[in-house]
Amino acid sequence: MPQLFPPYADTVARSVLIAIVVLPFLSVALAYWISASEYVTGRSITYDQPIPFSHAHHVGGLGLDCRYCHSGVETSPVAGIPPTHTCMTCHSQLYTQAAMLAPVRASLVDGQPIHWNKVTKLPDYVYFDHSIHVAKGIGCTTCHGDVATMPLMRQAQPLTMGWCLNCHRDPAPYLRPASGIFDPDWKFPDDQDRRGAILAHQHIDNNHLTDCSVCHR
Amino acid sequence: MNVHPYVRCDEPSGPSASGLDRRATLRLFVSGTALALASCGRPSEQVTPYVEMPEGETPGLPMRFASALALGGYGRGVIVTSMEGRPIKIDGNPRHPASLGATDVFGEASLLSLYDPDRSKTPRSDSRIQPWSAFEAALRAQLERKKLRHGAGIALLTGRITSPTLVEKIDGLTKSLPEVKWYRYEPVDDDAVRAGSVQAFGRALTAIPRFGDVRVALMLDADPLGFGPEQIRFAHDLIGARRSHVAQDSLRLYAAEPAWTLTGAIADHRLAVSHQLVRNIALTIAGELGAAAPATELPPAVSEFVKAAADDLAARRGAALVQAGRSQPPEVHALCHWINHELRAPIDFIEPVDRVAMGHADALGALREDLDGRRIDTLFIIGANPAYDTPGDLQLAEAIGAVPFSVHLGLYEDETAARCTWHLPQSHPLESWSDIRAFDGTGSIVQPLIRPLYDSRTAHELLTLVGGSTTAGSGYDIVRNHWRKANNGNVDFDAWWRQSLQDGVIANSAAIPAPPPSPKLPQLTPARAGMNFTLALSPDPAVFDGSMANNAWLQECPKPFTKLVWGNALHMAEDDAHKLGVVDGDVVQLTHGRHVTEMPIITRPGQASGTLAATLGYGRSAAGSIGSNVGVDLYRLRPAGGAWVIENVDIVRTPRRENLLRTQHFFQLEGEAEELQPRLSLADLAQGHFAFTKPDANPPTLYPQTHYDAYEWAMTIDTSACIGCNACVIACQAENNVPIVGPDQIAVGRDMHWLRIDNYTVGGRPGFSPVPCMHCEHAPCEPVCPVAASVHDSEGLNVQMYNRCVGTRFCQSNCPYKVRRFNFFGYADGEEYKGFGADIVKAVFNPDVTVRGRGVMEKCTYCVQRISRARRTAEKEGRAIRDGEVVTACQAACPTQAISFGNLSEPQSSINAMRSEPHAYALLGNLGTRPRTTYLARLQNPNSNLGKPQS
Repeated sequence: MPQLFPPYADTVARSVLIAIVVLPFLSVALAYWISASEYVTGRSITYDQPIPFSHAHHVGGLGLDCRYCHSGVETSPVAGIPPTHTCMTCHSQLYTQAAMLAPVRASLVDGQPIHWNKVTKLPDYVYFDHSIHVAKGIGCTTCHGDVATMPLMRQAQPLTMGWCLNCHRDPAPYLRPASGIFDPDWKFPDDQDRRGAILAHQHIDNNHLTDCSVCHR
Repeated sequence: MNVHPYVRCDEPSGPSASGLDRRATLRLFVSGTALALASCGRPSEQVTPYVEMPEGETPGLPMRFASALALGGYGRGVIVTSMEGRPIKIDGNPRHPASLGATDVFGEASLLSLYDPDRSKTPRSDSRIQPWSAFEAALRAQLERKKLRHGAGIALLTGRITSPTLVEKIDGLTKSLPEVKWYRYEPVDDDAVRAGSVQAFGRALTAIPRFGDVRVALMLDADPLGFGPEQIRFAHDLIGARRSHVAQDSLRLYAAEPAWTLTGAIADHRLAVSHQLVRNIALTIAGELGAAAPATELPPAVSEFVKAAADDLAARRGAALVQAGRSQPPEVHALCHWINHELRAPIDFIEPVDRVAMGHADALGALREDLDGRRIDTLFIIGANPAYDTPGDLQLAEAIGAVPFSVHLGLYEDETAARCTWHLPQSHPLESWSDIRAFDGTGSIVQPLIRPLYDSRTAHELLTLVGGSTTAGSGYDIVRNHWRKANNGNVDFDAWWRQSLQDGVIANSAAIPAPPPSPKLPQLTPARAGMNFTLALSPDPAVFDGSMANNAWLQECPKPFTKLVWGNALHMAEDDAHKLGVVDGDVVQLTHGRHVTEMPIITRPGQASGTLAATLGYGRSAAGSIGSNVGVDLYRLRPAGGAWVIENVDIVRTPRRENLLRTQHFFQLEGEAEELQPRLSLADLAQGHFAFTKPDANPPTLYPQTHYDAYEWAMTIDTSACIGCNACVIACQAENNVPIVGPDQIAVGRDMHWLRIDNYTVGGRPGFSPVPCMHCEHAPCEPVCPVAASVHDSEGLNVQMYNRCVGTRFCQSNCPYKVRRFNFFGYADGEEYKGFGADIVKAVFNPDVTVRGRGVMEKCTYCVQRISRARRTAEKEGRAIRDGEVVTACQAACPTQAISFGNLSEPQSSINAMRSEPHAYALLGNLGTRPRTTYLARLQNPNSNLGKPQS
């Protein structure tokens, strides 16, 4: 009777047995990796805009304060995109003929708003409030990244629920003193553990932060 | 038949026939797949900032503006919340005497009318779209002809106008063209009330009871708690006077009425008597107080009631009041004035705010005569719908259709628009500049919240054109100029104007009460019981006079007693229905004179035998996609005099049945109602005799012990104060993006209201219990959810996570209070009822609340968005949320403050005080759910001489 199994049959059988155990874990890991990947969360995309507005120039170079343009950030859930008039406070005097700024001038003349492409998107069922985060010691660059080096904007953080919860469970490592919130070059000090814990103790006194109703309603 | 070239198969002549070979097919397949994969990215979104930010605006923050809304021509002050330029919520204005911070169903729902896709959008003539310029040219030509004849043949037909600017405009018009005639009518008129004061005092005076000072009141078919422009104020005062737990200090209410009214439901003693007998009761009371009134025969039960009421009234002179309803004849009103004078009743008399002396029915009669006599050839109908809401006997629709030049200005292209040569779109009150006076004379400036959505004009602008101006001018200038002139340079006008706009009330504008002359005692003969059936009409609790019929929030708002939606029905006394052999839903035929109509019946225990009751406002033929052909029109049955009571109505049963759409399904379970809505007399309360047993606050449980955070939210509802007006239901709907489902879904038992008002009858007396989510500490809905979409948060809220919900509906089954609502379809999101999917309707949504999709469970959240807003504000200011800082939408709307909300963890909070009241109870408390929403038992203040409260 000829041999039923070829010589490599054992190897195949062992591989299959190992695969049965390993593959599910691998696929779950792969799914996690993909879902958190820059491709899926959108971090890889740098958005084109109708006007190539450069945060690197305005923030990094000129040192404009975030709140000059994003004026709602301390009072409102949304930080706000500046109206055309805000651009024209400077650009009615500077670069008045620049071709790059033609859409801004056109917007002012026609009364038609500029349509910017949205960079930082949250799903509609998440009710995020800028003002409370700023008031509690979360700096702009913690979520929006190092805007002072970005000629065009891209999303700096994954903005997944896990990422949000990471901070809502333990905000201490991300807290800044009031003076550092709008500082685009803020570096966390070496003893952030200690300082953060103190800030958290002073400002964030409930354990309500991981309730569903905090962000979803 | 058209066949796509690629699938034609009649010529099997090879690939060349279709031009598609194997390679091309593969290429198409591959590129199609690649495109499909590539299109899986996120949709790009845009942010669009302003060009120039409006003053005071911060995107993302609401702005609030004071204004006023009309009901029956009288204003109620409102505060409108606007989000980035679009109004999203209407609340009451605390400074306004006709609102005091609360609203009513009509005020809340007028928001939806603004975004109604059926609104008229353009002028039309002969059903052709026309520009305004065409109308202006036609009008100029018409006026040119009229000028020489001093305006003879021109007539204005309007509703009640209390706008000082508009009255001035009309005065100006009649001065320059003295032959112009102005007819004014409201379908919900006050002719008898006014005529009664003329009989008593020799001139028209408006009586405004100060219910806050009343301690004994007898309602003779009067319904101060019922729907109308005074409802909010009267309910506030009347219920406020009943708050005391000392019987002497609490208002005792007697009511004698043919059919149930909201006032009758709350009364301590209520008697069902025929319409005619009410008059005899008034006569007997007058006789008891010493009037030379003819003796009347009353049945023993009535006699006992009247004797007790009369004694009680006489004992509380200075704090006693008798009031007659609008359906009683003028003589009875005059008699009540005499009685009130004898009782020194706390009533303020003011000059009528509505300046027109002619009665509403008389005005319509005069209009009909002038139309018949061809004395009117140019008719302007402003904001009224006479082709629908005038008595059927007048047949005004045909008469208006015969006018050679008729102009209709209205929100909708309604029944009247169809019969006029011109229809013009009117601006919604939230789009217009105007002014208005409340029932007590208080003036308000009406300011727009949004630019007109369509090419519409206001009545002021139209009358400017009619006045001969070449341009309509802006409503802003018209109103402002009127007040600049009225102020006569006495004050800094700009400051005055800003202050009036900000307050929503014009300072010192309320009419000043003046003591009236002594009333004459009218000569009255006792009435005989009517032959046959008497039909008592009333404005509808949902659509009022029918002008709001196209408002779906109102159409789906359950009527207080019957919980009927999307239609009206004939209310019959139980024994009458029994004699006729009909049951709920059977269709009967009503005949009065030559008018015949058919409608389904609902039996109403506690309605007087021989009395039929029904509401106006239904059976519209051209209301719009929502309101057309819903219910039965009873205006057609009204006689020319516009009476509220039609005597001698014949009724026969038909073989037809109709499915009554009701949201509460009525099966009587013995003893159940007493447990769900216990009632107590003040005497019982004082002695601690409770008719209900309070369950142990902490029954044994298998649930884990819970620990709460800084706040423990809780609600208490005072069933003594709930009048069943539904303001909270509509307020909740507006605040929480609650969709409507439409009549077909109601018919299969589905509705979406987060807050419902249950009506339970105990001892023959209906009573109301608003039922929101109980936010049980041991919530039965939570452990059965397989995906943890129903969970507790650390402040004790039972929250529903829409994004986790997979729609098993286990939670709904397990909820003992049945407050969970399931989106069987995308009621708010893709499968809306009729025109509700239109983009413009989406503007009504509150951006702070998720719009739920199909297959998702939802329920009351205690307005978690408002809690969150208050918490964020407090956190930013580094303090705790103050007691009373979070106000839920239902609480804000309630005219009687029946709903309280607060934080249990603060020992001094008012909510804790209410929960520890002796008559506090938990709904189905014996289940051990430990609800956070608790109730206060309904307290009654019966007259011990009359024994128990009777029906």
